Amino acid sequence: MNAAIRRTGIGIVLLFLALAAQLTYLQVLRANELENDPANVRNFLRDITRPRGQIVTADGTILAESIEVDDEFEFQRRYPTIGLFSHIVGYQSIVYGNTGVEATYNDELVGRDFDIQVDDLSGILSGTDPTGTVVLSVSAEAQTTARTALNGRRGSVVALDAQTGEIVAMYSEPSYDPRPLASHDLDQVRTVFGLLADDPNNPVLARAWRERYAPGSTFKVVTTAIALDAGVATPDREFPRLEELALPQTDRTLQNFGGSECGGTLVESFRVSCNTTFAQIGLDLGETLAEGIERFGINTDSPPADLNPRVARSVGPERGSFELDQPSFAQAGIGQADVALTPLENAMIAASVANDGVMMVPHVGIEIRSSEGDLIDEIGPRRWKDAMTAPTAAAIEAMMLEVVDRGTGTNAQIPGVRVAGKTGTAQAPGGDPHAWFIGYAPADPAPGQRQFAIAVLVERGGDLGSEATGGRIAAPVAADVLRVLLGLET
Amino acid sequence: MSVALRRRRNAELGLGILAGAVTVGGYILVALSDAPDLPADLPIFLGAVIGLYVVAHLAVRRLTPAADATLLPVVALLNGIGFVTITRLDRELARIQAGWVLVGVVAFVLTLLLVRDTRVLERYRYTALMLGMLFLLLPLVPGIGRTLNGARLWVSIGPLNFQPGEAAKVLLVVFFAAYLTEQRALLAEGTWRVGRFMLPAPRHLGPLLLAWGASIIVMVQEKDLGSSLLFFGVFALMLYMATSRAWFLAGALTLFVGGAVIAYQLFDHVQVRVTTWLDPWPEAQTAGYQIIQSWYAFGTGGALGTGLGLGNPDKIPNAATDFVYSAIGEELGLVGTIAVLAAFLLFVGSAFRVAVDAQRLFPKLFAAGLATIVGLQTVIILGGVTRLIPLTGITLPFVSYGGSSLVANFVIVALLLRISDEARRAPVDDRDARSTRGVAR
Repeated sequence: MNAAIRRTGIGIVLLFLALAAQLTYLQVLRANELENDPANVRNFLRDITRPRGQIVTADGTILAESIEVDDEFEFQRRYPTIGLFSHIVGYQSIVYGNTGVEATYNDELVGRDFDIQVDDLSGILSGTDPTGTVVLSVSAEAQTTARTALNGRRGSVVALDAQTGEIVAMYSEPSYDPRPLASHDLDQVRTVFGLLADDPNNPVLARAWRERYAPGSTFKVVTTAIALDAGVATPDREFPRLEELALPQTDRTLQNFGGSECGGTLVESFRVSCNTTFAQIGLDLGETLAEGIERFGINTDSPPADLNPRVARSVGPERGSFELDQPSFAQAGIGQADVALTPLENAMIAASVANDGVMMVPHVGIEIRSSEGDLIDEIGPRRWKDAMTAPTAAAIEAMMLEVVDRGTGTNAQIPGVRVAGKTGTAQAPGGDPHAWFIGYAPADPAPGQRQFAIAVLVERGGDLGSEATGGRIAAPVAADVLRVLLGLET
Repeated sequence: MSVALRRRRNAELGLGILAGAVTVGGYILVALSDAPDLPADLPIFLGAVIGLYVVAHLAVRRLTPAADATLLPVVALLNGIGFVTITRLDRELARIQAGWVLVGVVAFVLTLLLVRDTRVLERYRYTALMLGMLFLLLPLVPGIGRTLNGARLWVSIGPLNFQPGEAAKVLLVVFFAAYLTEQRALLAEGTWRVGRFMLPAPRHLGPLLLAWGASIIVMVQEKDLGSSLLFFGVFALMLYMATSRAWFLAGALTLFVGGAVIAYQLFDHVQVRVTTWLDPWPEAQTAGYQIIQSWYAFGTGGALGTGLGLGNPDKIPNAATDFVYSAIGEELGLVGTIAVLAAFLLFVGSAFRVAVDAQRLFPKLFAAGLATIVGLQTVIILGGVTRLIPLTGITLPFVSYGGSSLVANFVIVALLLRISDEARRAPVDDRDARSTRGVAR
């Protein structure tokens, strides 16, 4: 009988071993996945009662901080700059969770990051919880200038460090006040959230990276880059002077702005933003255009930026669609029809021209610091796409300088600074055109000097409506923000 | 008391102090985490629980001085971890649980006092059978049976609520140990010729079929799949241990699988359990909610756990009862779950040792049956909450909140200690020839 009893005992031990194996599977192999499953509410509940680090700008402005309060949540999140950075920074809501940098850098802010824990060992011993401070690349001064320059008109300003991809200003109008959403009064949070959701101007929408617009003539930068790299055009190639271009597969035509006649060399066409030339290039490129835009991150995955919600995917004509729909490629050549970009994407296109054709991953976070101020981690530049070759970038720079010197973008001029740019006035269904300007300055940086790329979008032409053009409406906004970024008094 | 016996009891006391230290340490951590904001009177309840174990230890010193020294300290450790976890989850339940520990220790001491000799139990085998079946079927009686969380396990008489199935499992093991001790030769050899095979006569197999029938009734009528599996598993294993005939196991398994397949076809609640076991994610908010929350708890706990009082085990439904192990997994991590598993292994291993060391057949089989109950029950509920097997709600012995279960398990420990003491005090020449290891050491 003892043998059978022992065997039964061994059988139960084997079942225990199976349990131990399953526990190891759950608590080691699958632990990370289960802990971070979006449907697992634990981390959020834990973080809401924890001290939380600050979010600050590189120039020292506090964008978010926690103060101790005497309620069940123990800490209240405060946003001193109100609506100026709300799309980027987001909010911490007890009802709706975290958004923005509050979401993307949540682990660092609550000090869950291992390095922060080690660094703050003395803090642990002394009973204070380690938290991380997230330093953003944005400049409060440039951001304020962007808001002032937009002057209440719906739209976006995105400014990047062309070489690193650091976002130095990114403001969308209208914005919203995040403070009531971070309230500990559940009813207030729900009421305000409902009001914001119902607002027809949709202030919660981060237009800069969540909304797509036809880029209009600013897209001629992309069309030209693809044509030069494909050998389809050279800067000196002559294009016929036309008022309109007959479109294949249809009896429609594509007209120049205001029905004017233009053409000539590629440089000349670029300077005056001649539609017939670039529509023709779009047709000449055909499938090459659909392939080329993918090098700019269009029709691909959206850039892996540290923004929340994630960057919307910019789109253009699909591969394999040229045979069926040639007019769309003519329209795409001038940034219409199937093309729709986020203002951020358009700023990245301008930055890639300044950066010898290399497109960087855009990011707002640059440093993680301990609560003592010690540097824990740096978020450095990352290459994303090789958009164009360096010679092509140089050729396009020359054309963009012409645009600001004596073309459609003269309103972006800054005395004493070489500004490269391209304007756009994009037709959009259901209303007046959108006014665009993309560019960068200085075009001839001194050694060690930062180059700033910019995209300005004013929806529906702002206060000028149908009279608006990119040059009249968007270019002056770009000049204001670039002046501040370059340290020149306005 | 001889020097050797006193030494063994001092070892038990030492291990018990360790268990107490772990419990108090855990309790202090919960109190420091300040999340549940413990009221001032709770340490009194903790003190009472520890005091009750001192009483239990003194009773063992007095009544079963030669008994195994690890069982009671391991029970104290498991019960202590359970009490700390329950305190952390629901302070009101912790107070009631302290009361149940009192009832449990009283039952423990009474069992030691009343069952001075296991022969008494052997003699009352049919009384045990009748009472066991009665308790098993009591929840089905209209008027007093109660359904909770889908299973009809409860009996309410006046203000008293209890699960008679917990008492039934001990009583039925008494009967089966006695019956199998008597019939083992007939069952093992077979007296019924069928063609070339010698099978046990149908009348000898009657009780086995009775057990099968009872477990099916429990499964179908009371919708208690866990207890059903437990009863049948324990009886099949006891039959195997009594006869050393593996084909009894194969036959029992066939019967159970057959019954389970039919039940799956006929009853929705069985189908739901199996479906949510295979893939709970499509029903994450409904049928799969419990097991997914349990997985989240284990995963969030990870290797080291969030720390006592620092997790959110309150997000798991029934965290103090069926899912107490998930709560431990979240706050104490893999370290904690493996430690609890090791404690159960120690308990079950010691219980099987008691069986192996026993000289007479009845206490040997009885102890093996009790060891199997605790071992299988642990596997069924832990396999359920980790999704190793379909989830069936039964308690984790000594750890889960629940009075009936705690009291029944205290009685099991007392019986094991009685058997152990009996074996180790028996004169050397009086021993069963096959048991040569029962020397007190």
